[in-house]
Amino acid sequence: MSQQPILVVDDDPSILATVSEILDLEGYPVATAVNGADALRKVEELHPSLVLLDMRMPVLDGWAFARAIAERDLKPPILVMTAAQNARRWAEEIGAAGYVAKPFELVELLDAVERLRQHS
Amino acid sequence: MSAQTLLRAVTQAVFLGVFILVAIDAVRRPRRATLDTALLFGALAIAIADQWIIDALHVNVDRALGAINGSLVMAMPYLLLRLLDDFTDVPRRVMRAAEAGLVLAVAGLIGFASPLPSGLTLVYVLYFVVIEGYCALGFVRAAQRSSGVTCRRMQAVAAGSALLGLAILIAGFQVATPSLEDLWTVVVQVCGIASGIAYFIGFAPPRWLRRAWQGPELRTFLGRAATLPRLPDTETIVRELERGAAQALGASQAVVRLWDEDAGVLRHTMDGQVPEIRPGETIGGRAFARQQTVFSEDAARDDPEYAEMYRSRNVQAVLAAPITAAGRRLGVLAAYAPRSPIFAEDDIQLIELLADQAAVVLESRALIDEAVRVQAREEATRLKDDFLSAAAHDLKTPLTTMVAQAQFLERKVTRNPEAPPDIEGIRRIVREAQRMRSRVMALLDASRVEQGRLLGRLETVDLIELARDVCERPRSTPHRVVLEAPQPVVGEYDPVRIAQLLDNLVENAIKYSPNGSDVQVRVWQDDKVANIAVIDHGIGIPATDLPHVFDRFHRGSNVDDRSFAGMGLGLFICRGIAEQHGGRITVDSKPGAGSTFHVRLPADARVLVS
Repeated sequence: MSQQPILVVDDDPSILATVSEILDLEGYPVATAVNGADALRKVEELHPSLVLLDMRMPVLDGWAFARAIAERDLKPPILVMTAAQNARRWAEEIGAAGYVAKPFELVELLDAVERLRQHS
Repeated sequence: MSAQTLLRAVTQAVFLGVFILVAIDAVRRPRRATLDTALLFGALAIAIADQWIIDALHVNVDRALGAINGSLVMAMPYLLLRLLDDFTDVPRRVMRAAEAGLVLAVAGLIGFASPLPSGLTLVYVLYFVVIEGYCALGFVRAAQRSSGVTCRRMQAVAAGSALLGLAILIAGFQVATPSLEDLWTVVVQVCGIASGIAYFIGFAPPRWLRRAWQGPELRTFLGRAATLPRLPDTETIVRELERGAAQALGASQAVVRLWDEDAGVLRHTMDGQVPEIRPGETIGGRAFARQQTVFSEDAARDDPEYAEMYRSRNVQAVLAAPITAAGRRLGVLAAYAPRSPIFAEDDIQLIELLADQAAVVLESRALIDEAVRVQAREEATRLKDDFLSAAAHDLKTPLTTMVAQAQFLERKVTRNPEAPPDIEGIRRIVREAQRMRSRVMALLDASRVEQGRLLGRLETVDLIELARDVCERPRSTPHRVVLEAPQPVVGEYDPVRIAQLLDNLVENAIKYSPNGSDVQVRVWQDDKVANIAVIDHGIGIPATDLPHVFDRFHRGSNVDDRSFAGMGLGLFICRGIAEQHGGRITVDSKPGAGSTFHVRLPADARVLVS
């Protein structure tokens, strides 16, 4: 298993903390970012194996982040996490590998993460 | 035949010709005005015919015939006065005086031998000229009061009266001073012809002339009609239609009543000033019920119920036409005139044309209104959809943490029952549950605002106590919340809601002051008004947002959705709290400089302390 971390991006501090702790308990290395700009820096720096991405965020939102990493030819798989109704469409729009709709079940999140980590 | 004789023949021919025309009109439409017009020209025509008989038979002027001729000429001022009365109001005593003068004049003509003594001739001329002058002035005033066709007609008649008076004046002097010769005779003849023509076009204008006079007014009306539907409201449109119709018809007033299908009445847009009527009631109501134009020469007679109103508004004649578009009954257009001869027969076609044009204007307006309503409905639906998805999103965010965190705790305990409880994780669930609760409460409050039942029990409370509690509440931000309240401000309030209002405003002030600057809360009393001001030095509100800050679901355009969490309900609820206390809330703001929210509530004046 690669030592590259999973990057969790969300502007809601509670969700960010909870998701990181869940992944941490399962033994995944985890990094966090509070918005798209922060996430972009972390991607360049840490080359994460997977990005869990909230879509609506201040400073730089999910779409802008996805465009930015595509331009830089950084291609970590993305798992979209959103409370919006059109989660699936948004995931397709940015070419994400998958999505989980908030509020998600713990196992739903872990299954998706596991699947994407194996693919990468 | 000398030029003078020719001129005289032409004058006589003109008067005779006009007499034939007005006599035909009087026979076809035997009304007071047409009969009076026929009498006026008839008197002259008979006098002329007499003269012809005398000339043809080469007899000496028979005394009796001379007296008859003189009497007919002397009857003219009186007949003209009657016509003035047909178009405006002539005081009774003036009529009586003119009648007495006429009787005396005729008696004089019979009593004295011809030629009359020159002194008496002057008295006759004076009588004639005074009455003619009075009539000329009366018609000038009527012209000033009226517009369009009526104005032109009155001007023509005034000119005719002045010319005839002048002719008689000169003729009178000629009799008194026979040295005045041919030149003056010509002037008298010319004045005579001119006055005859002026009377004719004033009292019995031919149709083509009326059309020509109406033309400019009508063109103005039709030209303006195209832009009318774009006027700000129906009332303004109706005012313009009324003004245009009155002018085109030469009426003193025109009124458009609109059909209110639900109430079953025809209503004027200026409620109260013009009575609403039911179909069939009054002349307008009858025109509407029958769906055809109705003309009433004597409104007080045809509409006895409203006789007093017609009299008080100086209305004698009414012309009313239904306003109907493609079978849809929209209302009725009625034109009012102080005297019936102001309207002519072809005005029926004109008012129908005006009513049709009004129908087009009102229909266009209705379409514009409908488009605006549809747009507003779509906008309301869009706002509601936006709100629902925003509300769902905002509720899902705390729920995400609650679900995931709770399952995470469960998983940890299952895997390792001996491990110490994760107090941080538990606190996170509690915090998010509270966040969720406050959002659900805000949604419920917003719906209570709409239903107008936001307030609980009112108590006598001091606003300063409430403000102090709110200001001293512990907050997680570095902002200082400073209270300035010199003396108690007491009134009957729901303390829970007022505290909520204050807390909302203070929280907002803090939220939109990312620079950490102070927030001031001022509480004071002016007479019977309790004032609360919450002042911040934060990001402020753009001018375009100011009118909407208290609307439901509104979020400032300079507010990033996620950096300032919220559903756009806080200020809507604040407004509800202020208004349901009988107060109001306003805001002053400058982007970049901060905002001041000002709440005014009724205060208990008795407790005002000096």
